[in-house]
Amino acid sequence: MVAVQYYLLLSGAIFCIGLFGILTRRNALFFLMSVELMLNAANINLVAFSFQYGNLTGQVFSLFITALAAAEVAVGIGIILVLYRNFGDVDVTKATTLRW
Amino acid sequence: MSVAEASTTAFAFEVAPAIAVLPLASFVIALFAGKYFPKKGALAGVTATGGSLLLSLWVMLTVAGGAYYNEEIYTLVSTPESFDLHFGVLLDPLSALMLVIVSLVSFLVHVFSLGYMNDEGERGLPRYYAGLGLFSFSMLAFVFADNLFMSFVFFELVGLCSWLLIGHWYREDAPPSAAKKAFLVTRFGDYFFLIGVVAVFATFGTATFAGSESFPVLAEEALTDGGAGGELSTFGLGAQTWFTVLGFLILGGVIGKSAQFPLHTWLPDAMEGPTPVSALIHAATMVAAGVYLVARMYGFYALSPTALAVIAFVGGFTALFAASMAVVKRDVKQVLAYSTISQYGYMMLGLGAGGYVAAVFHLMTHAFFKALLFLGAGAVIIAMHHRQDMWEMGGLREKLPVTYYTFLAGSLALAGIVPFAGFWSKDEVLYEALVHGLTDPLLLVAYLMGLIAVFFTGFYTFRMVLLTFHGEPRTHTARNPHLPGWNVKFPLVVLGILATVIGLTNMTPVAEATGLEIEFLHTWLEHGIEGLNSEHYGELLETVAGYSAAELSPLLAAALSLALALGGAGLAYSLYSGDRPDRHTDRLGDARTLLMNNYYQDEYQVWIAETFGTGVARLSDRFDQSIVDGAVNGVSSVSLFSGGRIRRIQTGIVSNYATLLTLGLVALLLVVGLTGGWFL
Amino acid sequence: MIIELLIGLCLLGTVVVLVSPSRYAPRLAAGWSLLPLVVSLLMYAGFNGRGNALLGGQLAYETMVSWVSLGPYALNWHVGLDGISMPLIVLSTVLTTAAIVSAWTPIEERENQFYGLVLFLEASLVGVFAALDFFVWFVFWEAVLVPMYFLIAIWGGPRRKYAAIKFFVYTNVASLVMFIGFFALIFGLGNSIQSLDMPAIAQALRAGELGSTGAIAPSTLKTLAFVAMFAGFAVKVPVVPVHTWLPDAHVEAPTPVSVLLAGVLLKMGTYALLRFNFTMLADVAQQYAPIIALFAVVSVIYGALLALAQQDLKRIVAYSSVSSMGYVILGLVAYTVYGVGGATFQMLSHGLISGLLFACVGVMYNITHTRMVDDMSGMADRMPVTTSMFVAGAFAYMGLPLTSGFLGEYFVFLGTFGADFPGAAWFTAISMFGIVIVAGYLLYAMQRTLFGSFSLETDYGADGVRTDGGENADEHLESEADHDVHRAAAHDIVPLAILLALVIVLGVAPEIAFGMIRDAVSPMLAAGGAG
Repeated sequence: MVAVQYYLLLSGAIFCIGLFGILTRRNALFFLMSVELMLNAANINLVAFSFQYGNLTGQVFSLFITALAAAEVAVGIGIILVLYRNFGDVDVTKATTLRW
Repeated sequence: MSVAEASTTAFAFEVAPAIAVLPLASFVIALFAGKYFPKKGALAGVTATGGSLLLSLWVMLTVAGGAYYNEEIYTLVSTPESFDLHFGVLLDPLSALMLVIVSLVSFLVHVFSLGYMNDEGERGLPRYYAGLGLFSFSMLAFVFADNLFMSFVFFELVGLCSWLLIGHWYREDAPPSAAKKAFLVTRFGDYFFLIGVVAVFATFGTATFAGSESFPVLAEEALTDGGAGGELSTFGLGAQTWFTVLGFLILGGVIGKSAQFPLHTWLPDAMEGPTPVSALIHAATMVAAGVYLVARMYGFYALSPTALAVIAFVGGFTALFAASMAVVKRDVKQVLAYSTISQYGYMMLGLGAGGYVAAVFHLMTHAFFKALLFLGAGAVIIAMHHRQDMWEMGGLREKLPVTYYTFLAGSLALAGIVPFAGFWSKDEVLYEALVHGLTDPLLLVAYLMGLIAVFFTGFYTFRMVLLTFHGEPRTHTARNPHLPGWNVKFPLVVLGILATVIGLTNMTPVAEATGLEIEFLHTWLEHGIEGLNSEHYGELLETVAGYSAAELSPLLAAALSLALALGGAGLAYSLYSGDRPDRHTDRLGDARTLLMNNYYQDEYQVWIAETFGTGVARLSDRFDQSIVDGAVNGVSSVSLFSGGRIRRIQTGIVSNYATLLTLGLVALLLVVGLTGGWFL
Repeated sequence: MIIELLIGLCLLGTVVVLVSPSRYAPRLAAGWSLLPLVVSLLMYAGFNGRGNALLGGQLAYETMVSWVSLGPYALNWHVGLDGISMPLIVLSTVLTTAAIVSAWTPIEERENQFYGLVLFLEASLVGVFAALDFFVWFVFWEAVLVPMYFLIAIWGGPRRKYAAIKFFVYTNVASLVMFIGFFALIFGLGNSIQSLDMPAIAQALRAGELGSTGAIAPSTLKTLAFVAMFAGFAVKVPVVPVHTWLPDAHVEAPTPVSVLLAGVLLKMGTYALLRFNFTMLADVAQQYAPIIALFAVVSVIYGALLALAQQDLKRIVAYSSVSSMGYVILGLVAYTVYGVGGATFQMLSHGLISGLLFACVGVMYNITHTRMVDDMSGMADRMPVTTSMFVAGAFAYMGLPLTSGFLGEYFVFLGTFGADFPGAAWFTAISMFGIVIVAGYLLYAMQRTLFGSFSLETDYGADGVRTDGGENADEHLESEADHDVHRAAAHDIVPLAILLALVIVLGVAPEIAFGMIRDAVSPMLAAGGAG
């Protein structure tokens, strides 16, 4: 049996990779992927603790999150399509009309 | 007194409020239904004031029978913890006399208005008659007021009525302006009066004129007994000083309404109103109100020699000052206006000099002859098709005989020629000033000013008569005057008779010379409610105010003033009696300019009003807009500005938001960690 | 339950008018507003309260229902009336009806919303005057702002947004300051109160049960709370120097809203001062009486001077409200029966008279489309009835005897002149000079606008927006309005006549209102000396 710390390390690493992606990438698709990574990092935590405490609630939650992530991808890709249509690019730094 | 008599007396007094209420009813009728009546409300007014006159005469007869009345009739506010405010009726010889004067003049003015307004086809008649009705109501109620609060209430209403009537011809520019000036100047005086009324309440807890709990009596007790003074709150001043201050405050209102220097400037402008209104204002209502108020509370003024001296001095000065201006005026109504100011100065002189009866006497005679002169001037103005410049008149004597002879009677009375009314009363005022002045230099100066004014009065009066009625007609209009009707002549005749004979009721010099008991007014005013008659006032003047009269024959003083009056009249006759009189006053040069401009009184008052009123107002407006509101807007600008800066972090770039989010999270974790001790 | 009925009727009216078609809304709203009016008049006729609401008096129409508990404090629905609040409620209902009828001519769009908001405003105003639980009171107090904001911001003049936001933010910040002050007192009282019931708080405070909060001693706490509450309420009154929202709000608000704003909303400030500062913290008020009186006198004179400098009729009346409300403060600080009673009477009287004057200006504006003194003259010929009303209203404002305006001011002067605080006589004498200035500017304005020969020159563009301040007089256009100047419609005049009649009735028979006011005020004074 793998100790829970390793799962936490794994999830932390994945979360940081996602965060790094969000902070550095300019392509909206990479953004979406990075967000998925962060969500799944959270999922790993939930499943790991669920296993640790023998309580199924965490796993149920991870299922919810997976479903939510799927919906989010659908919406996110829709937004990216609109972004492309309006700005001719999927570079998030170009779409700056929503500012002061 | 039998039971029947007693009940008649009681009934006469119970219906006394109707003296004032009748004109009020005519006000309501004229205002709301005047336009449906054939004479536009005039008949209601004539009926009402006629009724008031009859009732006043009845009351006067009842008072003559020795019965007096002092009752509250309506309580506005009753406060158990504090003082009540009420309206009441005080009927004694003074108020009964004044009621008759006011209702008679008012009645005659209503009749005259039929000729002056209705027959001349003026517009706005219901409004005019409503104003007259309200004016009569206010003045009559003021006259029988039993307390200072009620006096103030109707004093102010009189001011409103003057505004309404002076500004009657509101389509022109001058009348509304004159009306505004009249109201504002008198209001400035009333400001002091209001402080006085409030202070009287705060000091005595009452403001009634008569009775053992009235404020003059309380003040007298405070001064004479000494002990009672401790109970009154005198605001840190000695009782005598404080009463003098109170007297001065109330005097402010008197000076405003009675057009004494320096608040006289509204009165000549008030000539913009219809002439019958001028007659009413000058003779019996508004201007008389001030002097009447001093007479009404004379028991209070008699306690303060300082206040009396100031009253006398202001009166004497005003008499001379106004008379000098009347000398050069061209407009017949202007001459009369300044003569009014001057004559009220005499009344003030009389009151201040301790001549209570003399002042009331002059108030009475002046009411008749000044109403007569104004109505006569009104008749002349009708005849002249509303021209008022005396240099356009002349030779009206043949065309308007009734007007001429009545006007002449009034003029003789005004100038103080024996035996017309004004001689007796003015002479008595001057006599009182002289006998008391021989022991008091300030009064003596006031007397001398009054005496010189007699000469001026004789001059300007006869200048007016000669220019208007004598000589050759100087214009086409004067050759073909419009002849007045019965409704103009009737009031003139009534007043003409009164102006001739009314002085005979109180011939002090004759009484002195012959030893006859013919000083009827003295006798009349000696009676009255306890503490509210001339006898008591005389005692007060001697014991509290320290007045003493020198022994002097009234004949000497009378001869002196008569000589001066005749001298003035003679000078006018020698200058203006020809067929084509010259404009002699032009020869006065700079003095004439000064007098024509009324000593620049208006100019300096306007200057004060503009500098301290409008000027300060503009400054405060600028201050308000820039500093006070600026501070408010400044606060909002600060938040707007800082918001404008801080919102710059909303760049619209998602990556930046994500960075901020991350940094924020890290910072939060660090803070929580440091304070929570995770890193230890 | 009759107070609930009154508030309920107004709220129901709001809903009914909001859903009704716009073209029926004016008449429907006017008809509906008669219901609360009649109810309030019946309440007035059957009023049986005795004493002061906060000081253990017997309340009329009282309801006390426990509602929720909030921490240690119970919140109750507690409403009831005493002799101070009863006349103010009648004033609100009367002026609401008058304002609704006077809105028939000027309000031409979104009528149902306008009248709905006015009825909602009425409900809130009645609530403010009737509530006796702080929480309930505060809800109504803030609820007044909402309809007022929209009434100014939607139907107002050219700068309506600025005025509405200024009004809302200014008074809201003030409420916050007041709220802090009041809650400091609540925490200071600690366990001596179990609810936010205002009578209980007042009695606890007057019984001296204020403890210290933290390091602050009770007396300091009282003073600080007094200052905070005074500052908060002073904005509403308004007292100089926190008055500047008022002229902007008045000028931009449509006239019927000005009627309510001047007529009732300002009274909320003085009413709250009377209830909170001057009843609950009477000892502090007496301690600092000269300073408060100074504020009052400055308001009177400075407000009147500002009115003297204005050219816009509405601004003139607005600034003179600042002046008149100064008399109310002066009366309150006197702690005499005529002072405090007169202040309350002056609230009533000023409500009626300023409502009347604003309505008159509105009637003239409906027809001439200008309010500038310089733009018109000789209106008396074209609009005789309106002119008469204006003249009568103006004289009432100047304090002419036999109108309520005179008695309101006179009571205050009588009460204050002999009051106990140092310099009372001087403060009174100086503030009395206001009656001269008020006569000055009103007479001047009347002379310029109403009298003289008729003329009307406006430089309003076709869209009704004034193009500039009127400086370039040579570009004035002889507008078509010149030919349209006619007599006002009967429904414009009727509210004026009714208000004028009330002003005169109160001036001749003040006892009908002053009787109950005096009864409610006396306990305040008797116990006030204890501090």
